[in-house]
Amino acid sequence: MEQILRLFYNNGSFFTFCTLQILSVYLIINHNSTQSAIAAETWSIGSGRLQSISTTVNDYLNLKEQNEVQMRENARLRRLLPNALYDLRTNVDSIIDGKYLQRYNFLPARIVNRSPYNPYNVLIINRGESLGLQAGQGVIDDQGLVGIIDNSTELFARAISILHQDARISAGLRDNTFGTLRWDGKDPRYMTLTDIPEYTNIGTKDTVFTTGYSNIFPTGQPIGIVTDAEVQPGTGSKNLKVELFNDPLRVSSVYVVQDLFKEELGILNAQ
Amino acid sequence: MRGNDAVSNVVRFILLLFLQVFLFRQISLGFGGRQQLFIFITPLFIALLPLRTPKPLVVIFSFFIGLGIDLFYDTLGVHAAAATFTGYVRQFMLLVLAPKDGYKVKASPDGKDLPQGWWLRYLGLVMVSYCLFYFSMEAFSPLFWKDIMLKTLFTSPVSWFFCVIIVTFLRPRV
Repeated sequence: MEQILRLFYNNGSFFTFCTLQILSVYLIINHNSTQSAIAAETWSIGSGRLQSISTTVNDYLNLKEQNEVQMRENARLRRLLPNALYDLRTNVDSIIDGKYLQRYNFLPARIVNRSPYNPYNVLIINRGESLGLQAGQGVIDDQGLVGIIDNSTELFARAISILHQDARISAGLRDNTFGTLRWDGKDPRYMTLTDIPEYTNIGTKDTVFTTGYSNIFPTGQPIGIVTDAEVQPGTGSKNLKVELFNDPLRVSSVYVVQDLFKEELGILNAQ
Repeated sequence: MRGNDAVSNVVRFILLLFLQVFLFRQISLGFGGRQQLFIFITPLFIALLPLRTPKPLVVIFSFFIGLGIDLFYDTLGVHAAAATFTGYVRQFMLLVLAPKDGYKVKASPDGKDLPQGWWLRYLGLVMVSYCLFYFSMEAFSPLFWKDIMLKTLFTSPVSWFFCVIIVTFLRPRV
């Protein structure tokens, strides 16, 4: 306390100066039109800049939350896409009433862990049985396929990546030829579509889609494009080299595809 | 009249204010329709305050003479700010210009106790700092720095010259 008082005593002229200077500036701004206009302008520029800085900072802090909101919105929109619905129109003979039944459900999720790159890639996502995840459900991202769930706990689930030598995916082309998509464990950019009949006329740059026959992925989800065809001698079929649209090794936010008709179709498949 | 600081300073305050407001206010010169030359003699009051005046009091007295001019110039606060600033930096000027053996206890800052050259330099510093701060406050934005510099360049030597004349003629009495 004594030191503070001594500070004031020793610098008396400085504090007097400051006080009177503030008083003077106050008088200047309040009683002179030119100066008050300049001060108002300066003030508005300064506060505007401050506000834009604080907005930028807040936007950055909100980014994660906004991302979450976006993904939920995306999942909702995917649920409305035609290939996620079951068409009831054919059931009601000649009357087209435009009714659809929800078939696929999309659930936003995040990849929290993945195996080191090897021929048997797996990944862990942060959604589990509590949200209805089961083995056999598909995992996709915004551009292509990511994997298939093979094991789940209460809060997490493990998926085998499409870049796993045991993964088999039913895939086809626009002209309804279809085969099995698998990975040879070598180049993560390419997969192989096997069992395509040899006589089919397929060129490079043709798009490969999911067929939906295995009830894992919705029908018509794009996977990649054909870059090369290789005839297998003596089998009557050929293998297509497919370049993937997405990079399953680097994706971080994904959607889990839940087929609501799986049980019903399972009964038929078992018979 | 020497010896009574309080009375002579009060008289000086009134006299300088009177001269500034009724005589030197009429003078403003310049070219191109803009006035660049003014004459300020009130900084003389700040310069002539006795050296042993307590520093906060110098600042306060300076503020009052600035405010006095403002009341007549219709620029409330501008002269007050400049005068306050000058009163504050006066102590540093004295520090910089101090003679080798320091100031005498009762020294008065004009040519009596100290050499004439010291007084002229000291007055010059006071004048430049006053003009610079006054014109900065008048423009109120660093954007007009050319204007500020030009006005200071014209105003301070002329004002300085008038102050020297006034002191030379009137000093023996007031």
